[in-house]
Amino acid sequence: MSTIAVTPERFTLVAYDADRIAEITRGLAERLQLTNPIVIEVDERTPLGKMSASVDSASSDATIRLQLESGALEDTKNLTNFSDTRAHLSLGRLLLRASDRLRDDFADAPPDRDLTNAQNTAWKVYCGGRLERLGLAPIQQQYRYDFRNRFGFRDDVDTLFDRLWASENLGWHDLPG
Amino acid sequence: MSTDADTASTARAPFAPWDRRDLPGAFDVAETARRVGNYKWTEMKLFEALGGWVATVPELDVKMRLGTHCYHHAWHAELWHKRLPELREMKPERLTVPANDAMARFITAMTEPEGPELTIEKLVGVYRVLIPRFVAAYTYHMNNTSEITDAPTIRTLKFALQDEFDDWRDGELMLQSLITTPDQVRRASEHQSALEAIMVEAGGITGPGSIGGAE
Amino acid sequence: MRQFFPVDDLARDERFVQTNMAKRMADSRSAVGVKKSAKSRGASNRLTPDRHDASEAARSLMHGIMVGEIQALEGAGRTAHDFAAGDGSGDTIPFELKLDMARQAWDEARHVEISAKLSDWMGTELGQFSENTVLFEAACSNDPVLRLAGVNRALEGLAIDVFTQMKEFGQLAGDPFLEFCEDWMLADEVTHVKMGSDWLRKVTENDPDRRAKALEFQQVVDKLFSFGGARGDSDESPIGLARRFRELAGFTDDEVDTIAEMDHDALEERKAAVRLAQEAAGV
Repeated sequence: MSTIAVTPERFTLVAYDADRIAEITRGLAERLQLTNPIVIEVDERTPLGKMSASVDSASSDATIRLQLESGALEDTKNLTNFSDTRAHLSLGRLLLRASDRLRDDFADAPPDRDLTNAQNTAWKVYCGGRLERLGLAPIQQQYRYDFRNRFGFRDDVDTLFDRLWASENLGWHDLPG
Repeated sequence: MSTDADTASTARAPFAPWDRRDLPGAFDVAETARRVGNYKWTEMKLFEALGGWVATVPELDVKMRLGTHCYHHAWHAELWHKRLPELREMKPERLTVPANDAMARFITAMTEPEGPELTIEKLVGVYRVLIPRFVAAYTYHMNNTSEITDAPTIRTLKFALQDEFDDWRDGELMLQSLITTPDQVRRASEHQSALEAIMVEAGGITGPGSIGGAE
Repeated sequence: MRQFFPVDDLARDERFVQTNMAKRMADSRSAVGVKKSAKSRGASNRLTPDRHDASEAARSLMHGIMVGEIQALEGAGRTAHDFAAGDGSGDTIPFELKLDMARQAWDEARHVEISAKLSDWMGTELGQFSENTVLFEAACSNDPVLRLAGVNRALEGLAIDVFTQMKEFGQLAGDPFLEFCEDWMLADEVTHVKMGSDWLRKVTENDPDRRAKALEFQQVVDKLFSFGGARGDSDESPIGLARRFRELAGFTDDEVDTIAEMDHDALEERKAAVRLAQEAAGV
């Protein structure tokens, strides 16, 4: 079972619970068969929703570090409140990305901060399809719109999206961008 | 060089063989103005009610339809407003009145429902009672007025009737989709009965004779 | 049916959750850099497709447009209802103004239809984001002239800014529907602002005090609709001030400059408030 540390331990600007974040992450890690230690850092000073995942090595016991702006976990109907659904999708996406980074065929993937918008979106779509098959409920049309914004509003782009959404076990070089 | 076409007569009958319009009409200018004033008053009350109700209905599709229909009836009111001076009524407000007290009471009763749970009642009043009365009164007027002397009124009646038919159908579709239980059937029919009774007392949008007299 | 309808009673289905400006401003987080002269997202916060969160931000804004259009529809409908036809004095409005409000209700109903379709196209669920009811509040005044100032000048002016931004977004992203639809809605909004300007002038023709009060109210609403500087000339503001279209709608250069100054003040005030709140919270 993963050890999970969440900072801050107590939130002051948003009504989030570090224990609940850890609990959701633990459940997702078990479903993804990830046993690595996980460190989660939430920036509650901003309502934006940027997030990134990194691993400190490619070894099986590498520490996974997830960084999220508070908007990534937020209930958009009730601002500053936590959304279980959103948290599952955001943390699930980051854990999938971290598990990809633990694979040899993602060794060439740049750190998240260096990804282009197109690379970031393609990877997001690849994660979205897998999240759906894990039993979560990402809204596919959102991902499709994001993908079209980066790659174009064309039929061939939609075909590429569908292929990416349905894929498993891709390597970094299989992703467009 | 002259041709047959150059010398052929251009004299024709004033009314072509296919034009069967006739002079006689059931209404003189004063009666037409009276009816048009009643139409304008009622169309105004209807567009005001529809506009006011937009904020009170939670169903998004209904909200948008009410906003759209609000303008249709405002436009009818505008057309009637412009027709009144052409009928020798230089102060249109003078004739912008309900046909009688019962008609005023009808509008008060029709616009009474306000709560968000009363969408059926709001729609029943408009689409199962008032708009069918508009269709009836406008049709009667169109079919009985002089086709030649009162052509401008007929033109407006035709425009208005097209909207009334379209809105009637929209309203009926909304109602059929909202009325799905016996209790809702009861609510709709009870409200319709209550409003219909007042409308019968009023005699229609222009009072007794709105659709002529029974012979 | 009551003559005036309170904002708290606006009817919505269960998907929608409403909030207001006070709650919105009580959120002590900020998307812009709150340290003096700091910016959170590099050179610009403008809503353009090259932002990393472009799609999500566009979805949120489109949902805001949709609920704003619902409130604008409700506001126009209420003005058509709430005031009797008369000479414009007291509680009356000219008959022709009532007709214009009914026409605006139809336009806003189409805008709700358009933005609901666009939201679906972008992958947004109805009610996915909270609805700020500040727009209807500006339409709640018991004085019809204040409604014209608050709704047709300030609110519809904001709509011109927002639609211009979204139109550019669609153009840059190559979104075939977004640019097309925003262009159509923009045309309507310019009409509505012009309608408001004309009626405001006409109804207050012989009442300078009433006109002054209306313009003062418009400034208050304009500042409110800056949403803490979210709209403004500064590149820290996600939504720019659409000077050209505002000019088409009848705003003078001085009026637009005044709005720009208020936007700037609102941004600085918001940053100062967030800075204080975050310092107090120790973050």
